[in-house]
Amino acid sequence: MMKEACIFNIQRYSLHDGGGIRSIVFFKGCPFTCPWCCNPESLSMKPQLFYKESLCMNCSKKVNGLCNNDPLDCPTGAKEIIGKWQSVEEVYDVIKRDQAFYETSGGGITLSGGECLLQIDFAIDLLKRCKENHIHTAIESTLALKVDRLAELVQLVDVFLVDFKIMDHQKSKEILNLDVSVMLNNVKWILEHGGHVIARIPLIPQYSATSENIEEMITQLKQLQLKEVHLLPFHQLGESKYKSIQKQYTCHDLKPLREKEVEMIEQRFKKEGFKCVINGN
Amino acid sequence: MLSKRTQRIKDSLFAKERVVSLERAILYTESFKTSEGEDILIRRAKALKHILENHKIVIDDDDLLVGNRSEFARSGVISPEMSPYWILDELDMFATRDQDKFQISEKDKQYYREKLYPYWAGKSLKDYYNEHVSENVKDAVKTKVIAINQTDKGQGHIIPDYPLLLTNGLQALLDDVNKKHKQEPSNVFYQASKITLEAAIQYISRYASEVHKKIEHCTNETRKQELLVLEQILNKIAYHKPDSFYEAVQLFWLSCVIFQHESNASSISVGRFDQYMYPFYQKEKANTAFIKELLDCLYLKFNSIVAIRSSESAKFFAGFPIGYTLMVGGVDKDGRDASNEFSEYLLQLHKDIQLPQPNLSVRVNETTPYSLLKEAAKTIRLGNGLPQIFNDEANILAYVNRGVDLHDARDYAVVGCVELSIPAKTYGLHDIAMFNLLKCMEITMYENPDGFPTYESFNQAIKDNIAHYIQYMVEGSNTCDIAHKMCAPTPFLSTFIDGCLTKGADVTNGGAKYNFSGVQGIGCPNLSDSLYVVKKAVYEEHKISYQELLTILKNNWQGNEVLRQYFINKYHKYGNDYDEVDLLGADLLSFYGDEVAKYKNARGGIFHPGSYTVSAHIPLGEGVGASADGRKAKEQLADGGLSPMVGRDKNGPSASLKSVSKLDNILNSNGSLLNVKFSPSTLASDTGLDKLVAYLRSFSRLKLQHIQFNVVDKATLLDAQAHPEKHKDLVVRVAGYSAMFVELSKAIQDDIINRSEHTL
Repeated sequence: MMKEACIFNIQRYSLHDGGGIRSIVFFKGCPFTCPWCCNPESLSMKPQLFYKESLCMNCSKKVNGLCNNDPLDCPTGAKEIIGKWQSVEEVYDVIKRDQAFYETSGGGITLSGGECLLQIDFAIDLLKRCKENHIHTAIESTLALKVDRLAELVQLVDVFLVDFKIMDHQKSKEILNLDVSVMLNNVKWILEHGGHVIARIPLIPQYSATSENIEEMITQLKQLQLKEVHLLPFHQLGESKYKSIQKQYTCHDLKPLREKEVEMIEQRFKKEGFKCVINGN
Repeated sequence: MLSKRTQRIKDSLFAKERVVSLERAILYTESFKTSEGEDILIRRAKALKHILENHKIVIDDDDLLVGNRSEFARSGVISPEMSPYWILDELDMFATRDQDKFQISEKDKQYYREKLYPYWAGKSLKDYYNEHVSENVKDAVKTKVIAINQTDKGQGHIIPDYPLLLTNGLQALLDDVNKKHKQEPSNVFYQASKITLEAAIQYISRYASEVHKKIEHCTNETRKQELLVLEQILNKIAYHKPDSFYEAVQLFWLSCVIFQHESNASSISVGRFDQYMYPFYQKEKANTAFIKELLDCLYLKFNSIVAIRSSESAKFFAGFPIGYTLMVGGVDKDGRDASNEFSEYLLQLHKDIQLPQPNLSVRVNETTPYSLLKEAAKTIRLGNGLPQIFNDEANILAYVNRGVDLHDARDYAVVGCVELSIPAKTYGLHDIAMFNLLKCMEITMYENPDGFPTYESFNQAIKDNIAHYIQYMVEGSNTCDIAHKMCAPTPFLSTFIDGCLTKGADVTNGGAKYNFSGVQGIGCPNLSDSLYVVKKAVYEEHKISYQELLTILKNNWQGNEVLRQYFINKYHKYGNDYDEVDLLGADLLSFYGDEVAKYKNARGGIFHPGSYTVSAHIPLGEGVGASADGRKAKEQLADGGLSPMVGRDKNGPSASLKSVSKLDNILNSNGSLLNVKFSPSTLASDTGLDKLVAYLRSFSRLKLQHIQFNVVDKATLLDAQAHPEKHKDLVVRVAGYSAMFVELSKAIQDDIINRSEHTL
């Protein structure tokens, strides 16, 4: 059993990821390579250096043009270590603080990432801890990996927010390193065993927001008999984070969809009878 | 939508520049010249009578409701009898000062200098206060450890017994007073009360005659019919209790105007309007169009009265808050939910009005229906900072803890901004003083340059200083309390406060059933943050010595920006749900509360604590040097009272509530204040609104006392600052009250802009 997981943020008072007022636990580590990822610091499973130039006061001498400070001594937090190995109890200590808000709003916790199921043993322990305390649970995942403890997961998770990205098997494999058939099988299994699944669809121009992909998605979702989709329009809010971890951002020139385009996609889903929410709730 | 009539009334409120009005001062002075040597109660009663007999009554062609305090709406009615000095000093500045500008003509200035000032110099309430207050208190005020309020203006901060008025009518009350007067002819209070009640009856009759004159000249048949109805109503309610909703609202408003003519004070508040007006509303609610127009007229009337303050006072109470605080919701005397359809309706009305008054407030508790919370959330979404929310789960217990009868405690409402008060039974001096907690830390450090052996001994020394200065705050408050008894009793108002008629004593003389003095502890968030830095950096980590820190603070961080940033960013701050720092503040706030509650006031009541700043966090901040939390010298203190320091709350709005919930909020029986800012997008959808409802439910469950919201995005506020002409109607929350954004000084505008916005 894994004693600790690498967590890079616990975001309290989140309003769009599984219903009600929630705390999102962001797991570090992800095997997929979505070019539009807005949490690039979540890819590596290890704690890593993160540098926000805008906050830097230039208080130390630079070595080779780089700040030489220990991140612990950085006065503004410009230089910090992202990600921390934490125990279930440490994470739960933060989660439990908002219990009143979960109860009054029908909220709870959402495990997210990264790909939280990479650290499934920890995830299951944390979910158990929450369930013991009647806290509603959600997981935001691709489900596109082999999950040994799926049966346990179905028992512990109230809502699966499952990413549906690129439905073409080959493109998905090439661009995202993501095996669509693994994902679909997992979803099927969860549904057959009584799990509640909501599809989360990032609307990325040229990648997932093409009419071809949307139509294929509708076909698949109907086959699965899923009723509810969340549409997540592409944004570039994560761009500065790429610079902070010295990684290349390839979506800089990708234009976000116009409101009208999003609306048309929404109408398309609604026409097929899906309950459709923009940006999640 | 507003009707054409009410839209015109609304426009007219802001069509003209505000002016200073001398009318009341002139009439008051005329009366006082003829009553030299008589008892002050009689002199005040006669002065009110003289004002009511002679001030200019204005009946506008659009008025459904009558009752004006001054010839022009939103005039600054001065009271030289309270203090002639600041008015003299500011005659030439009224039109140009930073905050709360008023126009005044040269003729009026001259009249003031030559006639009013010379009469009142040496005779005012301020003179009495200055002659009797000790040097110690004066010094403490000068160093900005304490501020004593109401030393130059009316006391206010009270909720008269409107139900008593509405269920009896003036004549029946006069009969009662006459009976008491006959039984005890030498009792001066009864004599004074009688004079004012007779004057009130005559005053309302005078409105009836004015309306009658209008009818004679009216050529518009529809208007004529309206005036005929109005005349009939006025003739009736001058003497008798109202029966219809129209009569009740008209009598209510005229009493508000008379209370203002008498006291000229902020916060003679409305109380539980949805309770005592409900029976009248029920009778006529089918007549929806008329009810709506009438109540719109009333809401607009609330905005026709503003308070003029000295420049110094206007820093503390910026933007003319007048405190028509109107409470809806809550439980009844037996503890059952008392909200009704009218409670929700009173909130809905704000959508069309969108002005700072009435200062809408909602009492919530575990049993508050969803529909009322949802209505509150919808109104909050409009972005004007209304309504503010109060929590029965904390506030009832707070008053029971102060010895208030349980049934009375359940009937609490709010005066002014956030001050809890038992309507019709309390003279609470709710806003008598403010105490600068952060200043005590600075004084302690300056007095002890060599430092302390342990953190505990440092903390204790600060507490000793807090206790020391509380003595002076109490002394100053009591001197001010007595000054009001000697110079400004309020016999008409006292007639509507339970206890006064039984005891035969004015409220200023201990006539009320409950007699509190409310004193606010301010700067606690900054104090917690600063103490935490000292505890960790000096005493635990030995990162810096006490002496080094003191030198750095004395030099206002000069040359130490890196350290300042380190202290801001690397140590936890209050408002983020970290026990280690939150509990430091909780301990000190409890200490402050227990300490003030040891003292008695001049009326046999006790002192009790509150934690709200109004806008005083700005002037009180100006009086404190750099502090260890990274705050620079003269920078503002945390806004609100219990809100985290601006920009320091990073963990979102649930964490802020959690931090506040760790304070012993039950101790703050005089009221406390928490500002929270949401971005408009958070509340745009219906699901978003429901999350605000859930947030309010959590607030209730966490037993906080008060919360209020600003829901305006930063871009709008910045644009309003740059282009005030485009945002004349922007109403925002300041602190316990809302104000027109463009009428606030830049310092306060900046403060509102910089409060952390939760955007999730």
